[in-house]
Amino acid sequence: MDIDSFLRDAQSRRRFFRRSGVIVGAAGGSAIFLSACGNEKTTTPNVLTGPDESDQADVEILNGALDLELMAVAAYKTGAGRLRGSVLEIGKKFLAQEQEHADGLAAAIKDAGGTPNRAKSSYDFPELRTQTDVLRFAVDLEYTAIAAYIDALPKLSQGDLRATAAGIITNEAEHAAVLLDALGQDPAPSAFVTGVS
Amino acid sequence: MTQPGIVVAAGDADIAPVAACERDRRALLQRGCVLGGAAVAASSIPLLLLVRNAFAQADGDAGVLQTLITNEQISVIAYDTALASGLLSPAAIRIARRFRDHEQQHAETLTTALMDLGGAPPPPPRGIADVDQVADGLSDAKSQRALVAVLIELEMAGVAAYHEAHRTLLETRLLQTSASIMAAEGQHLVVLRTLARTDPVPNAFETGST
Repeated sequence: MDIDSFLRDAQSRRRFFRRSGVIVGAAGGSAIFLSACGNEKTTTPNVLTGPDESDQADVEILNGALDLELMAVAAYKTGAGRLRGSVLEIGKKFLAQEQEHADGLAAAIKDAGGTPNRAKSSYDFPELRTQTDVLRFAVDLEYTAIAAYIDALPKLSQGDLRATAAGIITNEAEHAAVLLDALGQDPAPSAFVTGVS
Repeated sequence: MTQPGIVVAAGDADIAPVAACERDRRALLQRGCVLGGAAVAASSIPLLLLVRNAFAQADGDAGVLQTLITNEQISVIAYDTALASGLLSPAAIRIARRFRDHEQQHAETLTTALMDLGGAPPPPPRGIADVDQVADGLSDAKSQRALVAVLIELEMAGVAAYHEAHRTLLETRLLQTSASIMAAEGQHLVVLRTLARTDPVPNAFETGST
């Protein structure tokens, strides 16, 4: 599938991320409440579950995030061949930072008594013919990651894990800003970065 | 004895810890801790030298929100001051206007959330003096470069405050809103760092720390 069709068709994107082991909510992202108002009062699971259950739940969430990071690493590796000059340098740097996220998540999973997922042997990425294709796909990946993390973050039982996830979300948003700028688009278009376009 | 932004409610201050507090206050505040009107005992001031401890003092989610709202309001004042300085280029003015509006939206959203929790909005910041508590030098800036450096410091403090807030906040929606705002501050940082000709994304984990 070419990148234009991929980015236009929300269903195919959802299928792609599901195949890749990444769980995202409806509408290509997650149902994120932004106005911070309303009546639903849900809390993080640290007050709802015991430590063993929490660890197990954390491992599942962290492995979902790890799948996403491993896919991002693969995507930046795949796309690097289409990048040139300063954009190639950006791609290399972001690849290294995604790998840092993956390493950090794998360590956290082991700390919680789990086994980190491994990268898939291959990913069925859309066809990336040009530098612009790569940049647009990378923006999509970064925003999908942000949406998935924001969806998952409150489910993490430990404050340190939530803070770390927030640090990753913010880094992914920074990546998106740089990539958007390279595409000639507004790097900071919204007061709330949800990953949902 | 009253520290800027910290109202001592009771108890005599031990000179040594208070002096230490004063010495380290800037480092603390640079990491995003502004306790707008929070009442604490003098003996607990040293504990407030870390943002984490400041949030621990907060009254649940509402207390954390009050701190975050104050920080956002301080950012609005800082962008207003930068915009009025006459030092910014047309491109930088467009950026500052946009980011000022973002900070205002953050403050309003958090205030709505706070009131939904039954909390009272914090007293508004007093002006540039409160900005100086977080990032000194705004009123002394003589160039766009100097202004942008202060704005970067403020955005970093904001990111650090939200980063810490994720350890403390409990309500799902507040955590998600906080994350989406922290991410927006990260994007502000990218633009400001680019203006300052520094690395726009220096760390894989953006925590507001240098």
